[in-house]
Amino acid sequence: MNDFGDIAVIADQIQNDIRPVTFELLGAARELAGKLNVKVRAIVMGHQLGSIPTTLIHSGADEVYVVDQPELAEYTTLPYRRAAISVIDSFDRVPHIVLCGATTLGRDLAPRIAAHYEVGLTADCTELDIGEYEHKGKADPAKVGMYHNCLYAIRPSFGESLKARIIGPWKNPQMATARTGALIPCKPDTSRTGKIIPVKVDFKPDDFRVKVIETVRKVSSGADLLKAKIIVSGGFGLGGPEGFDTVRDLASIFKESAVGSSRKAVDAGWIPYDHQVGQTGKTVRPEVYIALGISGAIQHRVGMSNSRVIIAVNKDEEAPIFQFAHYGIISDLFEVAPLLKKEFQKSLAAAGAAR
Amino acid sequence: MSDGLKIVVLIKQVPDTSSAAGVNPDGTVDRARAKKMMNPFDKFALQKALESRRDHGGEIVAISMGPPPAIEVLNEALEYGADKGYLLSDRRLAASDTLATAYALFKTIEWIGGVDLVFTGLQTTDGDTAQTGPQIAERMGLAQVTYTETMKITGRTIRASRIIDGGLQHVELQMPALITVANSASKLEYKTFANVYKFKELARDPKALEGRVRAIDLDVIGANAARVGLVGSPTVVGKTWKLGEKGGTCKIFKGDAPAHEAQLLAGALAADGQGMEELLK
Ligand SMILES: Cc1cc2nc3c(=O)[nH]c(=O)nc-3n(C[C@H](O)[C@H](O)[C@H](O)COP(=O)(O)OP(=O)(O)OC[C@H]3O[C@@H](n4cnc5c(N)ncnc54)[C@H](O)[C@@H]3O)c2cc1C
Ligand SMILES: Nc1ncnc2c1ncn2[C@@H]1O[C@H](COP(=O)(O)O)[C@@H](O)[C@H]1O
Repeated sequence: MNDFGDIAVIADQIQNDIRPVTFELLGAARELAGKLNVKVRAIVMGHQLGSIPTTLIHSGADEVYVVDQPELAEYTTLPYRRAAISVIDSFDRVPHIVLCGATTLGRDLAPRIAAHYEVGLTADCTELDIGEYEHKGKADPAKVGMYHNCLYAIRPSFGESLKARIIGPWKNPQMATARTGALIPCKPDTSRTGKIIPVKVDFKPDDFRVKVIETVRKVSSGADLLKAKIIVSGGFGLGGPEGFDTVRDLASIFKESAVGSSRKAVDAGWIPYDHQVGQTGKTVRPEVYIALGISGAIQHRVGMSNSRVIIAVNKDEEAPIFQFAHYGIISDLFEVAPLLKKEFQKSLAAAGAAR
Repeated sequence: MSDGLKIVVLIKQVPDTSSAAGVNPDGTVDRARAKKMMNPFDKFALQKALESRRDHGGEIVAISMGPPPAIEVLNEALEYGADKGYLLSDRRLAASDTLATAYALFKTIEWIGGVDLVFTGLQTTDGDTAQTGPQIAERMGLAQVTYTETMKITGRTIRASRIIDGGLQHVELQMPALITVANSASKLEYKTFANVYKFKELARDPKALEGRVRAIDLDVIGANAARVGLVGSPTVVGKTWKLGEKGGTCKIFKGDAPAHEAQLLAGALAADGQGMEELLK
């Protein structure tokens, strides 16, 4: 056992729907915990959580701290903040690292926790690691020195096609939020065992200043962007909102598919914001990403470059997307998309016949 | 209340990455040479502030923290209808991370005093963390609504809709509060002719503009210099490197017969073991 604390992961959960980033965080936390020889502690807050704590153990947690109270049935900042802080304070030692999703929940909650503890928080990480760091700054002599076992919070540094490693070893917990789709979950293992620890939280009347009137989650016909296996995305090359009919038509032949978009098409008002992929939209990692009429600007690329197979259709052979796509057709997307649809359907028929 | 709302809107000046100025050949940005602009997200925050004042009266104070040239974004905010601007500018603020920035902005808001609503953008295009707003709220002990799309004020009550993963959450709360505004919020109309016109009218009389935009420093607001800048920031940038180029691996199909190319592509996928049969309906 080491003299430093464990790694805490705050589960990302909306109305008992555990978001995929939770499993990705647990996967990354396991890796980090292996390097530090510490435990992974999941914190899950909500109401009537049922089998969720057990799922978290199967997905990599050694211990799950559960706050299951009616006040937490819907996410609101202040009660979740109080609950998370109460759990962290209940630990036998200050956690070395605390991780959250860079989701609408994590980006709402994590900064409050970090500000409460007056510790560093790195947003939107795409990689996490452990390593050493030597601080040589002259301006802040109190910080100078060699530090081991630091959290490396790695994130794209934008508009600058750079990655940056952010470090804050001076005070624990070292905190980070990570983007959905960036980290790798570990394989769920139902034989994994762990401890489930209920925690009771005393709220203050002040915690309930924000009341939820209603939560509306769109039950989309297909899977949503973050869960889709295939994403067909359209960009400014679609020429107008009707262009998305072509995108939807191609997407419709796949199981668990979703429609994505570049920001330029969103800004043009052709499709709602929740379809946007990229720096200021969603980070996705589907099996297949098909980009129709998207140039492949860095801000789009950072949101989808981890897709397993990237297929691009663009009539400009100089388009940057061809620098990182795996397959490309240089042609008019309106001609190619229906043909691709036909080819993919043919492959299906062939596979069916061969079976 | 008879004299309306006291509204603060936080606005940052950021490099304009769509302009070629200051962009090095390797894609990195030279912040000193880069063209500057108002953080695009903050325009939505400003718009919400203007809407709140339009409906309920009061005063909008725009605050920015940055080097002296950042005064431009405050002038711009005034041109669009803000009443006052404060630029928090101090050498000791250099290299502040979000925790330190939030502390400095919190002290500025506290110094202004009596604030009902604080609006921030969802995030900046350079820092890009979306953390500053909630961290200010934590320091002020305020309730917050992040990712706000729409809001309506009745008396002291705010009804707001915020984006959540896969949907919307409709909430209700009382002022004071901090609101971060999503860029999917209504179309921007903040640049109304009337606002700009009024500003131009004012601008003809330098006296009328006098004192409307003011630079302040840490001493003015009574902030603790040990809690800002390099010393007050719990994080540092350890290292940066270029995103690896995967270039050259793309299999490109090009010709005059798209049907043929589509066929070739599907064939290549299958040959590479990337057949998509199992993903088809
Ligand atoms: C701070 C910041 C954040 C940003 N965040 C994001 C983000 O999250 N997501 C995002 O996507 N962008 C983002 N952007 C914008 C990004 O820089 C690009 O402007 C945007 O991605 C371009 O969208 P596009 O590829 O659809 O449009 P364009 O760059 O205009 O490309 C359109 C492409 O379509 C091709 N085309 C046209 N007609 C046809 C046709 N008939 N058939 C085939 N091809 C055709 C053209 O050759 C061209 O390559 C951001 C920018 C900034 C500064
Ligand atoms: N230096 C600054 N001056 C004024 N406002 C800021 C500053 N930094 C951040 N903000 C505000 O906080 C929001 C979120 O910024 P960030 O946390 O950098 O993504 C911005 O949209 C601004 O409204």
